[in-house]
Amino acid sequence: MQRRTILKSGGAMMLAGLTPLGAAFAQGQEIVLGGSVPMTGDSAETGLNLLRGYECAVKFINEEMGGVDVGGTRYTLRLDLFDDASDPSRGTTLIQRQVDEGVNFFLGSFPSRMVLPTASITEAAGRVMVQAGGAADDIFTQGRRRVFGLYPRASRQFISPVNLFRSLEPSVERISILYTNSPYASAQARGAEAAIREAGIELADLIELPTSVNDVTNVLSQIRASNPDVLICLTADETSILIARQMVQTDTNVPLLFQSLGPQNAAYTDALGSYAEGVTTLAAWSENVAYSGNYFGTATEFANYYRANFDRQMTYHMAAGAACVCTIAEALKTAGTVEIDPVTEALRNTDFECFYGHIRFTPEGDGDPDLMGTIVLQIQNGERVVIAPDGAKNAEPVYPVPNWRDRT
Amino acid sequence: MLFLQTLVNGLALGGLYALAAVGFSLVFGVLGIVNLTHGIFLVAGSYGALLLWEHLGIDPILSIPPVAIVLFGVGYVYQRTIIHWAVSRASLVASLVVTFGVAMIIRNLLQLWFGPDIRTITPSYSFSSVTFFDLRIDLVRLIALGMSLVVLLLLTALLRHTHFGRSIRATAQQPLAASLCGLDVERLYAKTFGLGAALAGASGAIIGIVQPFSPATEAGWTLNAFIVVVLGGIGSPAGALLGGVLLGLINTLTAQYIAPSMTNAAMFLVLVAMLLFRPHGLLGNAMGESR
Repeated sequence: MQRRTILKSGGAMMLAGLTPLGAAFAQGQEIVLGGSVPMTGDSAETGLNLLRGYECAVKFINEEMGGVDVGGTRYTLRLDLFDDASDPSRGTTLIQRQVDEGVNFFLGSFPSRMVLPTASITEAAGRVMVQAGGAADDIFTQGRRRVFGLYPRASRQFISPVNLFRSLEPSVERISILYTNSPYASAQARGAEAAIREAGIELADLIELPTSVNDVTNVLSQIRASNPDVLICLTADETSILIARQMVQTDTNVPLLFQSLGPQNAAYTDALGSYAEGVTTLAAWSENVAYSGNYFGTATEFANYYRANFDRQMTYHMAAGAACVCTIAEALKTAGTVEIDPVTEALRNTDFECFYGHIRFTPEGDGDPDLMGTIVLQIQNGERVVIAPDGAKNAEPVYPVPNWRDRT
Repeated sequence: MLFLQTLVNGLALGGLYALAAVGFSLVFGVLGIVNLTHGIFLVAGSYGALLLWEHLGIDPILSIPPVAIVLFGVGYVYQRTIIHWAVSRASLVASLVVTFGVAMIIRNLLQLWFGPDIRTITPSYSFSSVTFFDLRIDLVRLIALGMSLVVLLLLTALLRHTHFGRSIRATAQQPLAASLCGLDVERLYAKTFGLGAALAGASGAIIGIVQPFSPATEAGWTLNAFIVVVLGGIGSPAGALLGGVLLGLINTLTAQYIAPSMTNAAMFLVLVAMLLFRPHGLLGNAMGESR
């Protein structure tokens, strides 16, 4: 019995030695940003993009700005992020552990199905989360008060694209939507449907796909029969590539193909080559936008700093991830303390401009759609150029795009 | 015509499923092991074909023999060591846990080596299609269907007409009797497992042309292989072909005439129905007559 007690005590002491100092996460002039990111599993591609964004901002703030001035004391930032392996149960278990260890400020995972359960834990524990990995409406409409998102909720993301469709000549008369039954894509589809109907455009098809798709040839038969002017695909990266490839193979031509996820990444253009020309997509940011601020300077300067320090090809996820860290830093500065409640209040009142854009949250915590609305990119000559909204665009849209056979 | 097109699409998809499942079926039938590493072998085949395509310019179809040979060796060693140890020290059920664990480890190793990004193999013909009257089928799926038939016929011939094939069948039906007749059962198990891995790798090389892949896609292929085996029956190439084609047809007919979102639900509904009413599949266990 005595030996067991000694073993228990020894084990506890060893664990205490291995565990990061719980309540001291905001002590020692260091503020820990906890959270999870999918570094492995099916969401790892975008997860690693977000992670590089977080790392980039922390590196810049610590090394170039000397940390964050909080009420006259300089704090450095430290990331304590773990791999949730794209698995919600693993993510929630480990987030709960970080909560128990005393982490107060969290960065978000990806995608919405990961953010939703992890944000529920941080919210219930009264901790703060700033994230750029989930935009499903449920994240912001279930009464959470300490969860903030860089993106407008999914149902509000189609204002820019639909405005673009309305401006195209010849006019867009019919639109078809394919979407997977994930929280994000479903909410986005509802938003797109509402925006399209409000714009007076006919919705030819609204087709739901399972989350995992091996074949869409039959769905494409239906699209050929409907003959829409625009096909909107609200699908994950892998499914977007599959749909585009099978559209080429089955010679399913539409005047404009719009895919919400996929065309932002290099894997898409690698897979499709010249067939990627003319495909349009959503983005939250482009390095060509004319925003600037204290962190990094301009959007272009952020891009230059990122490329000088990281190898992974840049997408808007890196900028959004970095902006999350900058937003927390800004709130800490404004609050002048590391206490949770004043920092939460400062986040609610966030209103500043940086390389990412003008950051302000709605009362529900998602990005203000007027200031942080989506931009529309189109692949032109291998480059992703901004074609909408008017204030941000650096190229005119190509519409209608040539048939697949004419793109080789 | 729409119905015919749906059937053609289902057949093409079914060929892919059959090809992907035949190795799983063989291992299940002969060794009695539900090999949860199967999808890993398949994805490894895709990455092998990708490497040969990117670095040596070898067409994915031509890369099948080298990929299959390498995976045969990997499968052989894997069975002789890890799986044999697990089964001999515990039970067949232990192999389920072991193969699941190994699949997780290798999936993460693949991710470390190749990254999590989605990859594709795009030879010049990967965007082509074939038209027959009003029916259209993309060339790569047609090639996959053709390769599936070729591989399944070769496997059938191997199992029926060669000493090695007869040894495999004898071992599957009565391991003790086979052993008493002088067959090295342990080595045959390893060779069969190697053959299963080689078939998975060969199918991976073809699937790499048909659709995007990443380390994370392996689990889906293992699950599909399991459904194919439950539908068609265990251990025979014909069972894999029947199960694959049925799965493809269920998929496309559901997408066309019910709803695309219901394809997975329909697949699992049929899976449950088969397990309830005909648990050995439509063609039964080809390897287990004497068990």
